[in-house]
Amino acid sequence: MLILAIDSATPVAGIALLDEEKLIREEFINYKKTHSETLMPMVDQLLRDCERSLQDVTALAITIGPGSFTGLRIGLAAIKGLSLAAGIPVVGISTLDVLAHNIAFGDALVCPLLNARKQEVYTAFYDNYNYYPHRLSEEMACSPQEFTYIALEKAQELGKSRIILLGDGYYPYSELFADHLGDKMLVAPSHLMLTRASALGSLALERVIRRDFDEILTMRPRYIRLSEAENKLGRGEL
Amino acid sequence: MKDVFILGIETSCDETAASIVKNGRQILSNVINSQVAIHQQFGGVVPEVASRKHIENIAVVVNTAFLEAGLSHEEIDAVAVTTMPGLVGALLVGLSFAKAFAYGLNRPLIAVNHLQGHIYANFLEHGNIEFPAVCLVVSGGHTSLLYMKGISDYELIGSTKDDAAGEAFDKVARFLGLGYPGGPAIQKAADQGQAGLYHLPRVFLDRNDFEFSFSGLKTAAMNLWRKMEKSGNNRVEDLAAEFQAALVEVLVEKTIRAANKYGVENILLAGGVAANRDLRTRLGESARQRQLNLYFPSLLLCTDNAAMIAGKAYHDYVNGHFAPLNTNAQPSLFSL
Ligand SMILES: [Zn+2]
Repeated sequence: MLILAIDSATPVAGIALLDEEKLIREEFINYKKTHSETLMPMVDQLLRDCERSLQDVTALAITIGPGSFTGLRIGLAAIKGLSLAAGIPVVGISTLDVLAHNIAFGDALVCPLLNARKQEVYTAFYDNYNYYPHRLSEEMACSPQEFTYIALEKAQELGKSRIILLGDGYYPYSELFADHLGDKMLVAPSHLMLTRASALGSLALERVIRRDFDEILTMRPRYIRLSEAENKLGRGEL
Repeated sequence: MKDVFILGIETSCDETAASIVKNGRQILSNVINSQVAIHQQFGGVVPEVASRKHIENIAVVVNTAFLEAGLSHEEIDAVAVTTMPGLVGALLVGLSFAKAFAYGLNRPLIAVNHLQGHIYANFLEHGNIEFPAVCLVVSGGHTSLLYMKGISDYELIGSTKDDAAGEAFDKVARFLGLGYPGGPAIQKAADQGQAGLYHLPRVFLDRNDFEFSFSGLKTAAMNLWRKMEKSGNNRVEDLAAEFQAALVEVLVEKTIRAANKYGVENILLAGGVAANRDLRTRLGESARQRQLNLYFPSLLLCTDNAAMIAGKAYHDYVNGHFAPLNTNAQPSLFSL
């Protein structure tokens, strides 16, 4: 059973091919080429290298958000095109879940942070005591300060002495985080810092086995935020 | 030669569209999901909102195009998509979908210039257009005159120095509180008014070239309206009629002059503003007086659609002009 995982939610472009629990191949690029140019050639190359074709793939997995609005749409549009053309079902997984999945075990509070620009981060809080990320909160967009207040509160509440930060939302505010979180703060090592398509595929597996697929025709990214214009209009979803 | 079926996809602005066209001529389906009602509340197209609607709708629209054409996915020969010009986020949804869909079906991808699509809309409906011809492309982003020797063989002989015709319609309509989109709004108001009661300039009509400028006309219309309001006159219909007449007169005159200068007998009209009734009628009259043939698409094919994209792509298909998987959107490539 093959899972093809595609991640373009952040500046990282990632593709992974998994045969159930076994990772066969993974591509990871965190370099300034646009996803629009790189993503499909990456898919093509990966399948060729593994002597597989799209027809061999059992399910597709995609990071569904939060993340860069355009990046999310490029990935989801590609997934919709592949799914519709080849009749392959799709599983959409939260970008924050995928990032949190980089940390397995341990009793620290796991805090994936995505750079949401406008002086904010996308985040949620996780407990990873048994391999899989267990989400303890809603996904949210908030200021880095606000994040630290909630993180400290959560850690207190759950009796956790350590708070692990990871994700590209860490870098721009590293000093602020260090100031606010003090010696409670741990930062993931660089190889665990960013979203990995392999982690996406790993999380998707459980849903593929349950045949818990998303409705491809109406599937949309989870933006968390309204567009600027909708905000200005001062109302909810259109 | 075997029949060629091409799926066209268009998401350059605020319409999510898919269409299947046979042999570059026969439209088997033409599905358009318009977002006009959504953008109306913002007073214009909001790029982020447009992109969000495109990703929600794209798969449904493509599916519907197949259902209406009565074809299975495997029966198409190529996937064509608009890659330029347009709103970058909007283009990327259609392009990313199209690439993956073509890849999934193992069919070639064809990149189509939106404006060439608008021009091609004429060939979908008129079988006997002969070259050479002069083509006036008028839309929200463009006002250009082309001298055409073939479908893909043409030169730009003039274009707008500032606002495009459609843009001027939109801006003046918004200023006058007539709503969005501006073209139909101004036309509707103008129907109730009379041109000539006031005078607005025919910009560049005195120049012997094929350049246009509508920014000055727009400003003049706004200034005139302020003056009218001050003097207690709020006959916005008369102003709309004069504005439309001033804009259309320049388009018509320059197009006819171009036809004369280049010695062509055929004139094509293309783009969203080609739906304007005053423009169609006046250009038609002028052309008839000089025994020139005027072609324009039906109203449905004037506005953004994917049939024109699939149609144009047929000629690329025949000539083997395919696009690679790393093709990117070129939002600001405004040249034709
Ligand atoms: Zn257009």
